[in-house]
Amino acid sequence: MRVRLQKDIEKLKKQVIALATLVEERFRLAVKAIECRDAEMAMKVIQGDLDIDHLEVDLEEECLKILALHQPVADYLRYIVAVMKMNNDLERIGDLAVNIAERAEFMSRQDPIPIPFDYFTMAQKAGEMFQKSLDALVNRDVSLAYQVCAQDDDVDFMKTALQSQFAGEISKNPRNIDSMIALFLVSRHLERIADHATNIAEDVIYMITGEIHRHRTQDYEQTTQ
Amino acid sequence: MRKRRKLLWQLFPSYFVITVVAIAATAWYASAILSEFYRSGAVAELKTQALMLERIVNGKLSQENSSQLDLLLKDLGTKTTSRWTVLLPSGNVIADSQEDPAKLGQRDHRPEIAEALAGRVGVATRHSYSLDVRMIYVAVPVKVNDQITGVVRAAMPFSTLSGSVRDVYAEGLIAGAFIIVVAIALSFFVSRRINTPLREMRAGVERFAVGDLHYRLAAAGSEDFAGLAEAMNSMASQLSARISKITQQRNELEAVLSSMVEAVLVIDSEERLLSVNHAAEVLFNISGERLNNRTVQEVIRNTELHRFVSRTLAGDLPVEGDLTCLGDPDKFLQAHGAILSDSQGRRAGAVVVLNDVSRLKTLENIRRDFVANVSHELKTPITSIQGFLETLREGAINDPATAGRFLDIIIKHTNRLSAIIEDLLSLSRIERDHEKGEITIQERPLKDVFEAAKKSCGERARQKDITLEFLVDDDLTARINPTLLEQAIVNLVDNSIKYSEPGNPVLVQACKGADEVVINITDKGCGISKEHLKRIFERFYRVDKARSRRVGGTGLGLAIVRHIVNAHNGRVTVQSSPGRGSTFSIHLPVSL
Repeated sequence: MRVRLQKDIEKLKKQVIALATLVEERFRLAVKAIECRDAEMAMKVIQGDLDIDHLEVDLEEECLKILALHQPVADYLRYIVAVMKMNNDLERIGDLAVNIAERAEFMSRQDPIPIPFDYFTMAQKAGEMFQKSLDALVNRDVSLAYQVCAQDDDVDFMKTALQSQFAGEISKNPRNIDSMIALFLVSRHLERIADHATNIAEDVIYMITGEIHRHRTQDYEQTTQ
Repeated sequence: MRKRRKLLWQLFPSYFVITVVAIAATAWYASAILSEFYRSGAVAELKTQALMLERIVNGKLSQENSSQLDLLLKDLGTKTTSRWTVLLPSGNVIADSQEDPAKLGQRDHRPEIAEALAGRVGVATRHSYSLDVRMIYVAVPVKVNDQITGVVRAAMPFSTLSGSVRDVYAEGLIAGAFIIVVAIALSFFVSRRINTPLREMRAGVERFAVGDLHYRLAAAGSEDFAGLAEAMNSMASQLSARISKITQQRNELEAVLSSMVEAVLVIDSEERLLSVNHAAEVLFNISGERLNNRTVQEVIRNTELHRFVSRTLAGDLPVEGDLTCLGDPDKFLQAHGAILSDSQGRRAGAVVVLNDVSRLKTLENIRRDFVANVSHELKTPITSIQGFLETLREGAINDPATAGRFLDIIIKHTNRLSAIIEDLLSLSRIERDHEKGEITIQERPLKDVFEAAKKSCGERARQKDITLEFLVDDDLTARINPTLLEQAIVNLVDNSIKYSEPGNPVLVQACKGADEVVINITDKGCGISKEHLKRIFERFYRVDKARSRRVGGTGLGLAIVRHIVNAHNGRVTVQSSPGRGSTFSIHLPVSL
């Protein structure tokens, strides 16, 4: 029975990583579509969302199956609970990538606008957080997960800074207002993606330590100081 | 599992049991022989006594002589332990050395008496009820002229006999016990002696097991142990030879794998990564030591690769495919997968070889775009010239004002064509001279070059109200070809002037780094988007097609710059942010 549980967990691990990988690739593609004004790339992301949805459902069913069949305890239980929560976050990130791709597709039809450099920094940062949270999941690396949690504020600040830049740009150049609004929305999506990456990192912390880290950023900052 | 006993405790008890059984058997046999020997001795003595008595009583046997004989026997019997009895053939006891014959009555049914009555010597051992001890009886017939006239019987209690036997037994028992104690001690030492070479051998084999195959067992002890030790030694030397051969083969294989440009992944049937080569570590930014039997999904996050691995493992034939690795920049990989079989021919996993074709792909793109762009660049002016010339011939030539304007346009386009061809020629000249090593590079001050560039660009800058600023130390020198470097700087400054709004400054600055001299040309122009940055040094590459033709230029300026810098063994880089401006940097090496 133990052996079967182990096997099912292995399978689950593969599945969750497959989903994470797919979402990560879609996210990168979407961000790239914005940079390159590539409608084709954007359409690929939009059409591929169904795959992510299917994987999400499969993953959830697998989790429920293991829970019902094996009634796991301790480590295994935490792992499955964490995976179920991550599953939601990953699917949401997939949806946000689709939203970004839709903006990219829209922007590719408008006049090109100069994209503020800070936007690239923010996109890179959000991507890095997402990647780090997945690395923490794969390597069971708590310290990496804590790093992701600590970076969330940076992205929030970046979004606020970008917001005021956009406001200035729109009043200067009202001709490009549609594209600017689209880019502004993208920055919000990026910020949401960073939030979901933080959630994943928190789930990883729970999975490894059994501690629920959510809403406890202050504690963490105190301990690190 | 049951705890195994030591060999010592297996050998020793068996020795002990064997010793005890042997001694007990010997003792039993000896005692049997001894008691038989005593008995036959006793029988012979009784027979002698009976025969002597027979001589005495012969001829006096009758019921009437009974009391007389009885007195005689009692008199004889006082000094011995033997008992004598005289019977008539009828079985009536007429005299006894110890008992009253009248009480004894008939004795003819006793086996020894029956035997004697039959004319033979009768011998019997049995319990005597009259004396209540175990007795040996010997009876002989009393014969007168072959006529049995009576029986004389001599008897002796067995106890006198077995008493002496018991003494022997007691001594034997003490001796036996002593022998057993000695045997125990001996067998213990012998067991230990057998065990000792075994223990040494075990210690030696344990050293083999931990890898010390150069250790040799001492061939001590019996032939069997020496043979075993020799067999073990030869096994160890063969193992050592085989291991070193395998190690050598593995090292060769590893050297081949790690020197391969292609990334190689070895995957088992559960999609776990068994090993990767150096190229794969670099390509996916992973560490081969940290694989820990993890699946390919965990280590390398690339959906296309995952699908390719599953496809390879599912099929029997080698698989081929193209993968894209998203990143900065994107990588294009050509993948080959083949099934790996184990020693029994079962499917053990797969080998995936990944060939990075990003460079080829980029070169292919450049070539394709180059052909398209060059035809476009050349075709546009020619189409215009052709069109205006045809219009002139159709009659526009008669209208001096229009004809003048048309001719101006035609001249402008021919100038453009000639500029393009001029640039192409200088590009190929630089390339050819660089290949042949005909470009002379000398240590020269940069200030002179900057002065010359300032002169060439000054006019154009003034027209656009742009301030040019050249910052360089008077004594800064670099290994350069002044004419070519001037052309490169002029090209870059020209570009900066073209793409800057009037009134913005352009800064040219040279500074010395650790092992290179860097010339930065900074403007506050429109900037270049990220996706174009890598390609702007290609021939005829245009960021914004409509705009660059309006501002002029042949589309070869940056390509020339790159070739000039390459001829100096340097490199040219660009940093740009749309809307904020760009910085082009020429890096020239200080030493060769």
